[in-house]
Amino acid sequence: MTIERIDGCIGCGTCVKTCPTDVIRRDPKTGKAVIMYPADCQICHLCRMYCPVGAITISPEKSIPVVVSWG
Amino acid sequence: MTEKKPSTGVSRRKFMALAGGAAGFAAMAAMGISAGRVECSVNLPEIDPEKVTTAESETDVLVVGSGIAGLFAAVKGHDAGARVLMVSKGRLGASGQTPFAKGIFAYDPAREKLSLDAFVDTVSRSAMGTNNPVFTRQMAEHSLERVKELKAWGFFDSPLYFDAFSRPIKARGIAVMERIMITHLIKENGRIAGAAGFSIDEATVHIFKAKSVVLCSGAGGFKPNGFPICDLTHDGTVMAYRIGAKVTGKEWNDGHPGQAVNAAACYDGWHGMFDRKPGRTGVEVHHDLGVEENYQAYMTGNPLAGGLPGQSRGKRIAGGPYRPAEFVENARRPGPPPGGGPDSGGGPPPGMAGGSPVGGSSAGMAIHKSEGLVPINDKGASTIPGLYAAGDALGSYMAGAIYTQIGSSLAGSAVQGGIAAEAAAAYAKGQATPTIPKSKRLQVQEEILAPLKRERGYGPAWVTQTLQGIMIPNFILYIKKEPLLTAALAYVEELRDHHMPMLRAADLHELRLAHETANMIVNAEMKLRASIMRKESRCSHYRLDYPEPDTQNWNAWINIYKGRDGRMKLEKQLFKNWPS
Repeated sequence: MTIERIDGCIGCGTCVKTCPTDVIRRDPKTGKAVIMYPADCQICHLCRMYCPVGAITISPEKSIPVVVSWG
Repeated sequence: MTEKKPSTGVSRRKFMALAGGAAGFAAMAAMGISAGRVECSVNLPEIDPEKVTTAESETDVLVVGSGIAGLFAAVKGHDAGARVLMVSKGRLGASGQTPFAKGIFAYDPAREKLSLDAFVDTVSRSAMGTNNPVFTRQMAEHSLERVKELKAWGFFDSPLYFDAFSRPIKARGIAVMERIMITHLIKENGRIAGAAGFSIDEATVHIFKAKSVVLCSGAGGFKPNGFPICDLTHDGTVMAYRIGAKVTGKEWNDGHPGQAVNAAACYDGWHGMFDRKPGRTGVEVHHDLGVEENYQAYMTGNPLAGGLPGQSRGKRIAGGPYRPAEFVENARRPGPPPGGGPDSGGGPPPGMAGGSPVGGSSAGMAIHKSEGLVPINDKGASTIPGLYAAGDALGSYMAGAIYTQIGSSLAGSAVQGGIAAEAAAAYAKGQATPTIPKSKRLQVQEEILAPLKRERGYGPAWVTQTLQGIMIPNFILYIKKEPLLTAALAYVEELRDHHMPMLRAADLHELRLAHETANMIVNAEMKLRASIMRKESRCSHYRLDYPEPDTQNWNAWINIYKGRDGRMKLEKQLFKNWPS
């Protein structure tokens, strides 16, 4: 899946602002980044490149939702 | 100036906690401080749409978008004496295609063998007349000056553009509001009066009163896999179309292939290019990114042989898209990435580094600057007074309907952004601050929040997936024939009439997706109707049933507009002419 892990987040919020597709948000309790909408990740790595502490690990693999009649 | 109305009562505790931040955010923007310092929020999973707050801002020139066109629009509009407010769905220098463009063209008369006239003529020959030579020349003439400014701001010193873009914005105290999706342009008395949208971080609808608007909102696609345009859904084009602007270029394609393995991985498909600092490109006119590979795949099946330039790429079937003889020698070269070029070094674009390429990585997008608002002059003015567009939001046909000059995408956006904003600033000087009637505000707010209010309906992700299934296949979007275009149009009309009005959103992230999905549906209809109308093949538009160029009937662009009955109308506009 897209963004795999965020380890060692310092809660600066840069990745949240940087993600073009709004995949990452902050945990309301800890203030740290969480992977919230991985289905919308375009695997562009901007979040990883902007992260000041190298906390983000991204995989090139992406699974797509199964096709259903309505949703 | 930004004013925020007090909350009328908020039912969710989470939102209460954020309201202070929201007010601070607006105030900071008013003071000209980039919103970059403001803390971003968690999402609000449950919002009472009846209790969403509204915030109001006022400016001379509203710049929508924060890529390179938006950057120069903000800077040049400010320097022309206007109050400028920039609003972005994402972040300055980190949204749209700008962050991934690594080459910028600069025409330096001291270095180039080709004269400016000869350059423009060469582009026109490659583009088979589809380019607007006024914009081709304008890009080249002004490119060196823009590149020099970028250099001074530190653009060439980092692969990440936020810091370089922030320098001129901060130095001028230009207000920037980020993570706000503009969904509506507002027209009063036949002129632009502002825009409206919503924050994806807090339950706030934003109304912008503006004497003029410069759309720097890029182009878009169908959230395709393998190309970093999933935040681009032709938002500017569609909102302008809805208030009566003319739109062009929807039959053209961008023929970037993607990778068969890990097709969604943009970063991996571009082989390290995103990590590189940008570089400069010089004159090198091509005829690239058409649909020749799509034709080969259609006739022979996948996998196609991939590989670097010069490598054997397997047996090729004769026929398919016409390529002007002068540009045949570079037929086997890989298509350049947006803005990328030889000066930037590094690996080849997607699908060109060995392995099997697959088509459609940028599905739903046309060649840069061949689609967007129809300009009525060389300043990027649209058919609506006070509304301007620049970069990929403007159908300037700067490069024509085929990719002609490597690096000109970024250069053209920079040049057009500056010119459009200077014209917008001059226009704004003669205008009083517009008023937006309360009834209009309420109507817009209702439309913005409608997906949140629907308890039943269709999720935007599912509607998008369905649209992708209709539009992205090679035999619909790229290798075209009338029966299938007509069949696809019937499906898209169903989505338009039945599903678009029932898009629902569970939170602010989904509200954005819902509006993006609606915009993609409108874009799909435009693409199909224009593709049916253009009964010839040329550049990046290929019809199996009309495989040859038809210069007698089709030396013309197709403009699209909303008719009085609300239906989509199409008309021809002869090459080298402006709208009447």
